Amino acid sequence: MPDLSRRDFLKLARDSLLALSGLLGLGGLIRFLDFQTEPPAPTDFDLGLASDYPLGTHKVIPDVPALLIHDASGFSALSLVCTHLGCTVEEKAEGFSCPCHGSRFDPQGEVTRGPANKPIIKLRVETTEDGHLHLYTT
Amino acid sequence: MRRSLLAASALLLLALLVIFWQESRKPKPIALTPVLTGQVEYCLTCHADLPEISRSHPVQTFGCVLCHGGERLALDADLAHSTMRGGKNPSDFSVVEASCGGDNCHSGAAADYRDHIQRAASSIQATYAGAIASLRYTFGAQPDLTARLGIYAIQALQSASGITALAAFDPARETNPAIRAFAQDCLYCHLSAQPLTGDEYSRFTGCAACHSPDLTSPPIPPSPLPLGEERGAGGSRRGAHTLTAAIPYTQCNRCHNRGNYDLRSMTFVPRDDHPTGRLSDYYQPIAQFTRCEWTLDCVDCHTRAEVMGDGSLYSSKKEIQYIQCRTCHGTLTELPKTKTLTDPDDLAFRLAFLNESAGNFESTWHLEVGDTILVTEKGEPLWNIRLLPDGTYELFGKATGEHFTFLPVMGSGCQQKADEQASQDCHKCHAVER
Repeated sequence: MPDLSRRDFLKLARDSLLALSGLLGLGGLIRFLDFQTEPPAPTDFDLGLASDYPLGTHKVIPDVPALLIHDASGFSALSLVCTHLGCTVEEKAEGFSCPCHGSRFDPQGEVTRGPANKPIIKLRVETTEDGHLHLYTT
Repeated sequence: MRRSLLAASALLLLALLVIFWQESRKPKPIALTPVLTGQVEYCLTCHADLPEISRSHPVQTFGCVLCHGGERLALDADLAHSTMRGGKNPSDFSVVEASCGGDNCHSGAAADYRDHIQRAASSIQATYAGAIASLRYTFGAQPDLTARLGIYAIQALQSASGITALAAFDPARETNPAIRAFAQDCLYCHLSAQPLTGDEYSRFTGCAACHSPDLTSPPIPPSPLPLGEERGAGGSRRGAHTLTAAIPYTQCNRCHNRGNYDLRSMTFVPRDDHPTGRLSDYYQPIAQFTRCEWTLDCVDCHTRAEVMGDGSLYSSKKEIQYIQCRTCHGTLTELPKTKTLTDPDDLAFRLAFLNESAGNFESTWHLEVGDTILVTEKGEPLWNIRLLPDGTYELFGKATGEHFTFLPVMGSGCQQKADEQASQDCHKCHAVER
């Protein structure tokens, strides 16, 4: 190994430090550019095969949240978001009840007790060509 | 020159390492996107251990920023808190409209029962107009007891009292030194005032003065549970992050029953005893009281309009406080007024629900359509009192969850006349012996 002069050693040390700094700076830049913002809430939910929801289905889909119904008229869905302030309503024997402020809705989603003054929103449900059931919140 | 360059390079690397080290120490952000705002906020990164403030305000729906303000994306505490409304108390009247207001929240229409802020801000507890008017009249600053000034200027929502507005009380404009002394020494008990020092006075300002009971100081027995445990039916948790409609009388007493004004020195003289037993030493030694006065909480009898106002401005507490013994017990010739619930949207149901929901407890009081409840002479529902089939009445303690039964005057041995509605009239026969 050749002798390293003092000048060369200092130069090598300086260049090494600068290179490390550069790498760290580059890492920070990549991290900055790679920042992922929170994704927007989904509006299209693939519920799987429609055949998995036979006639008579009455199922809560908690991720939406919504109530999926399959009756003689086909598929339909009710949002389980209270129209007052957005809490998730609970299904009861007499319809739906909001645990936050006590709003009540009948099984069709119509208001029976305030403070909500708008009916529960009906959501669009469609079956795609591949037989999948999609529920849309917008 | 080369040494300087080397030193600068070393310093640069050191600085970058320090930055990375600090970054690595920061907690992993916990994101929350509340339903109501749809905007991500990172408050839970540090505050995930806070309990839900009430069932009516779940964090998944409201988040933190909607009520408290603050920088929702900041991970540095100072920056995150720099724009909070009202510090720890977003319900202070100076910021309450931005924090708690809105048509669907607490500053909506009276017809929807959502005018809480408007009513509370014009209530006698907030304006302190009665005390101010009384004092100014006593010292000749105004010709009668009609309120003209309040803690702040305010217009009335309605004018049941004939007073349409109050100007702001400015002690500097008063010429009488006694009035200025009052302003300096006595203005502790309105809803915008900072409380006196001491656990027994501890409370917030604004809505939280009542709705965020401070249970960190020893409660006055009987209390549902000892200090440090979850309060049962009383609902309110120990600590400050609580909103409840089940307000224990101990919270009312942070202002009420805490002392007297001394008109000679024009100062407020706090009680020097700290009551620990409600029955034994809570009341003044010469005071008499009936069973309902020491077993119930203030909110069990006093209505929302009495306590939070009805939107009108008043000159005296007596003008808005109207519940009397006869409201619940009737008179020799009349039973108390009642109402059978037929509408599932009746206000009584909403109030009952909120007492449970905002009180964070499982209620044993379940109103049903068909129940007969008491109503006041102004038609306010006393949803926590219902008529039983045997003609007696059952009262549900809003803050304690206890059930009480009582009789009407009519048909009993009580001979109280209809115009004898002062407490001393009841004390003649029903004073509790200590």
